[in-house]
Amino acid sequence: MVNVSICVGSACHMKGSREVVAKLKELVKAHQLEGQVLLNGSFCTGNCQYAVCVVIDDTVYSVRPETTEEFFNNEILSRVS
Amino acid sequence: MVTNDRTTSDITKRIFREVAKLTWNGELESKKELLPEEIIPGPLPQFRCCIYREREIIRQRVRLARGLCPAKTDTANIVQVIPAACDDCAISSYSVTDNCHGCLGHACYESCRFGAVSIVRDHGRIRAHIDPQKCRECGMCAKNCPYQVIVHQVRPCKQACPVGAITMDETTGLCQIDETKCIQCGHCIHACPFGALGAKTFLVDVIHMIRAGRKVYAMVAPAVEGQFGPDITPDSWRTALKKAGFADMIEVSLGGDLTAAAEADEWAEAYAQGEKKTTSCCPAFVNMIRKHFPTLNGNISTTVSPMCAVSRMIKEQEPDAVTVFIGPCQAKKSEALDITISGNADYVLTFDEAVEMLRGKDIELEPAESYSQQGSTYGKRFGNSAGVTAAVMQCLKEQDIDASGISVKVCNGALECKNALTLMKLGRLPESFMEGMVCEGGCVSGPSRQKALNELKKDRDAMIARADDRGVHENLRIMNVEQVPMHRD
Repeated sequence: MVNVSICVGSACHMKGSREVVAKLKELVKAHQLEGQVLLNGSFCTGNCQYAVCVVIDDTVYSVRPETTEEFFNNEILSRVS
Repeated sequence: MVTNDRTTSDITKRIFREVAKLTWNGELESKKELLPEEIIPGPLPQFRCCIYREREIIRQRVRLARGLCPAKTDTANIVQVIPAACDDCAISSYSVTDNCHGCLGHACYESCRFGAVSIVRDHGRIRAHIDPQKCRECGMCAKNCPYQVIVHQVRPCKQACPVGAITMDETTGLCQIDETKCIQCGHCIHACPFGALGAKTFLVDVIHMIRAGRKVYAMVAPAVEGQFGPDITPDSWRTALKKAGFADMIEVSLGGDLTAAAEADEWAEAYAQGEKKTTSCCPAFVNMIRKHFPTLNGNISTTVSPMCAVSRMIKEQEPDAVTVFIGPCQAKKSEALDITISGNADYVLTFDEAVEMLRGKDIELEPAESYSQQGSTYGKRFGNSAGVTAAVMQCLKEQDIDASGISVKVCNGALECKNALTLMKLGRLPESFMEGMVCEGGCVSGPSRQKALNELKKDRDAMIARADDRGVHENLRIMNVEQVPMHRD
């Protein structure tokens, strides 16, 4: 199971975390990975300079709505076995 | 209300207020480090061994108020231990009190199957002694003692936890939360006499959104009526919140009506197919099923909660709106973080957090004469145990659906929820449906309640009596909200 935490704090919200969430949900569904990828919201962890912050295995990634698909392909698909 | 945490709760509220004030003024980043010294000026400590520990506790609480974990390690749980505040209470579970007569019966000794009880000579007196290393906490000694001198003491946090998520770190003695078990109910928070448990807050996020000029809508829980006395009505909240910069406030009792109507349809369908369903509006109850009864996941009704219903209603009209739920609940924060539910509340504040957020801007809830009504009395009673069932039954009646065969197990409090879920898991729950509320009495007794159930009942009943007797569907027509999508995606 790949745990993906998307920050929903105010800084990330304003940079589009809701759009990132919506896109990731669509991508997970399109690739039929509902059972293997778990999307969670998270409180602000203080890394606001990277907004939108997405955390997988303690690594913080900086994602924007327009780079969500690229992020999904590089970081999530590669972790799904 | 007699509570264990009056003093620590006052400190927590002060911190919410100070953090809110700095955030409203745009000074949080530059001045947050000054708060511990400002709140604990010294030179003498007030509560603990020294001012340095008191200040460290304040520093950790400030982090929690900002939504961060109190100590360095970062975990996802909403409820958190404040390590500096934990007294590592050295409670060995069973112990013999000074009232031991040193009798010849030795029932304690005889009843212990683990060799933990011995009869010793202590300062010339003969008495029983329990070796904590050997004691397995079976309780037989206490049960068999003819003088009832053996006491059972449990850490208050551990006792308050309905799911056994609280343990103790063996080396430090500090309380720790097993996050795979915690259902975020928040019961431990107010049980600890040292205030060593707390919850992350969205205070700073909500204020930032308002300051950034976003349209922020407040949604106040039905449990609010009566909590703040006879003359603080939902209109008092609307006035105060608008003064603070919220676009508007919508009563979640309207969401109660929306949920009841959808739930009634879902129950009617499930009943026809012989399926058993549980309610889905109490997030701690949903967390309990997901974490402790995963085989029953499919039995959770897919109808969204009243909070989510109102949030979706607002976002249907204004997609860019930011929605903030204000209620007595900690677990609602976990529902907001469950991003698999689309359109749900962006942020959640407890009553205490919301009141102090307003005070940080020198705004108080003022008594209001007016009582504008957005929910039916059924929606308003959603915050009471058995209220959801009553509202769903009313909906079935309004639709002329024969509900005579539909039986509901109303579970009031975590223990009843656990018992009924256990039966359901075994296929032995006689009732078709289950209403689950983890707080005893319902949401009105949630962790951020302002009064005990018996204290607020009179004011609550009087306030709800001011509402007219419109039905659930009638209210949905009056409020023109019949088109809200009401199921989890």
